[in-house]
Amino acid sequence: MKKTLILFTVLLYLLTSCEDDDFCNDPTTPRLIIVFYDTDNPTEKKEIPIYVWADNKDSIYQLTSTDSILIPLDTGNTFTKYRLATENVVDTLDLTYTTSDLFVSESCGYIAQFNDFEVDKSTYNWIDYIEVNVTKIEDETETHIKIFH
Amino acid sequence: MKQKHILKYFISCCFILSTCIIFGQKKGRAPKEKKTDPIAKTSTIETDSIIVYEKNYGLRIGIDLVKPVLTAVKENYKGIEIVADYRLKKNLYIAAEIGVAEQDTRRDTYAFTASGSYISAGINRNLFKNWLEMDNEVYVGARYGFSVFDQTVDEYFIFQEGTSIDGISGSYFEPKTNTNPKTYENLTAHWMGLVFGLKVEIFKNLYLGGHIQFNFMLAQTQPDNFQNLYVPGFNKVYSSGTGMSYGYTISYRVPLYKK
Repeated sequence: MKKTLILFTVLLYLLTSCEDDDFCNDPTTPRLIIVFYDTDNPTEKKEIPIYVWADNKDSIYQLTSTDSILIPLDTGNTFTKYRLATENVVDTLDLTYTTSDLFVSESCGYIAQFNDFEVDKSTYNWIDYIEVNVTKIEDETETHIKIFH
Repeated sequence: MKQKHILKYFISCCFILSTCIIFGQKKGRAPKEKKTDPIAKTSTIETDSIIVYEKNYGLRIGIDLVKPVLTAVKENYKGIEIVADYRLKKNLYIAAEIGVAEQDTRRDTYAFTASGSYISAGINRNLFKNWLEMDNEVYVGARYGFSVFDQTVDEYFIFQEGTSIDGISGSYFEPKTNTNPKTYENLTAHWMGLVFGLKVEIFKNLYLGGHIQFNFMLAQTQPDNFQNLYVPGFNKVYSSGTGMSYGYTISYRVPLYKK
């Protein structure tokens, strides 16, 4: 009887203490990683003061000097149009992709991953050239696009 | 003046009643031992201790009381469970539960429904030493459980971490939503359960019981691109494959024989 009580208490403690965390701690829908490189020295990253916004949206970066940006893609559509500006010179970047929905965990629910990713159109005002490294965007561990300027 | 009469009435009543002899005990068993010799005394004790209170054996059938109440009270739950056990030995029972359940769960970014039926079977061992003819139980039990069920993802939208603009984090684009329900049919789950419970005989052969059960998932078929977060009979599945359930039961023993 005593042993049973002890076992019962231990079990109750164990099982109630493994209540799942309600906060999502897993990697979720990946953002697009763009890294800026120096045209003259293509292996070197080069910082740039930059404005970044999508059509009819607020700026995500407001003249921030950086060598890389992380921007979300529109999961409700198969394209996202971004504008990248530096010193009043604007370039557009039209991105196309398809999305696939992936169930991650109880607390995170569904996330999107992007397939057939490509830069459909872009202007070259301050940008010299663009290198797309991936066709699938599944996480935020690698550079997806290199922009040389 | 009236008071005096009432007092007189009481006093005379007491006087009359004092003539009646009252026995507090049923039978004047009191100090019999004085008369008997030591040998006879031991023999009477022996016959006393031989008295065995026979236990009722039979099939006990009942219903879980919590589930119909939850069905009536909660909009997102429907369920019923029938319980049964059969006494093998004085303190050993085989026990089984059979039930159906439907549970809607709504989370921040998705909603799903699990519905199906389940059966679990195993043994209960009574640890309670009953006095005299009492037949109550404090028991531990083991169960094997099995469920066949459907999971329906009713709707969801894509979870995307907020984008910070001027220090305020929010969604930059409207997330993709999917409102077409998707059903995964005929999923199965197997689990082991450990039960702790009580049963009290409130009337002859009628029992009220309460139990708590800890479940450990053995195997399950997971839906494609979803997860069994609720399994009928197992209840909410925690990430470690554990679960917990409880119940209150009322059950009746159909007496077959005494032993």
